[in-house]
Amino acid sequence: MAIGTTIPFTTIPWDDALFVVFAGTMLLAAILVVTMKDIIRCGLAMMVCFGALAGIYVIIGAPLVAAAEVLVYIGAISVLVLFAIMLTQTKDAPASLVFQTQAIPAALAAVLLAVVTILAIVATDWHALAERVATNTTELAKKLFSDWVLPFEIVGVLLLAAVVGGVFLAKRERGHDGEREGGQFR
Amino acid sequence: MIRIFVGAFLAAVFVGGLGIIALAAGGSRSLNSYLILASLLFAIGMFGFLARRNAISMLMSIELMLNAVNLSIVAFGGFVKGLGASGSVIALMVMAVAAAEATVGLAIIIAIYRNKKTPLVDEYDAMSQ
Repeated sequence: MAIGTTIPFTTIPWDDALFVVFAGTMLLAAILVVTMKDIIRCGLAMMVCFGALAGIYVIIGAPLVAAAEVLVYIGAISVLVLFAIMLTQTKDAPASLVFQTQAIPAALAAVLLAVVTILAIVATDWHALAERVATNTTELAKKLFSDWVLPFEIVGVLLLAAVVGGVFLAKRERGHDGEREGGQFR
Repeated sequence: MIRIFVGAFLAAVFVGGLGIIALAAGGSRSLNSYLILASLLFAIGMFGFLARRNAISMLMSIELMLNAVNLSIVAFGGFVKGLGASGSVIALMVMAVAAAEATVGLAIIIAIYRNKKTPLVDEYDAMSQ
């Protein structure tokens, strides 16, 4: 069944509508990530944010990046963050204060940055650029293993170093003072 | 219950306003809307990094900023003809580096937590004592 390029009974194209929905979801979830009090909910809102971002990647026409976003961010990094939250949050910690004392200057700086960046984007003439074209995954694979093979290998070495470094840093020192809490998850 | 309705109403107003702005910027067929979206996401992440007290919240904000930059890279890759598939390749590299950064960052936070017994960064003042 074909559904056409515009929403029925309107002239709004589907991709514009989906873009607005995904962008709104992503920005709302991002605002929730930085403002909510319960940090577990922050982590879950981060997963929603990344899911909406994967949808935007599909709209741009980069399906492989969208799949990698779902796998790496929703699948791996969010779970890592949630485990770190469970390992580090104590009930007796003073969690009533979410923000530092300089939250208002930080908000002003963020708004200023957004305004300056948006002005720069709008003032720049992008007309020399072509239309939106979807990325061909076969071409991407060929590029990844021909032009970009050296960065690819270096990233592999970097990931290995990160895994070894992460295990080394988070490892409990043996015979330190015999405390056991939180260690059995690893 | 009333909070849920108010929140849903505010979200609908937010999305509607964003839709008007996005259609004014050219919708999903112009580079501008993606770049504006990326800059908004980056600003939100920057605010979170500067303002939150919890170390893990700061790390989540860093992830938001990395994703904003990644979004702009993928958008340029989709719109600049000479770039072709290279934009997506660069975005995949950035994702791998972000994964490495998250691993090491969370390991450092857990190591500090083991010594200081708190995840709040404003109590990490061992250097000043």
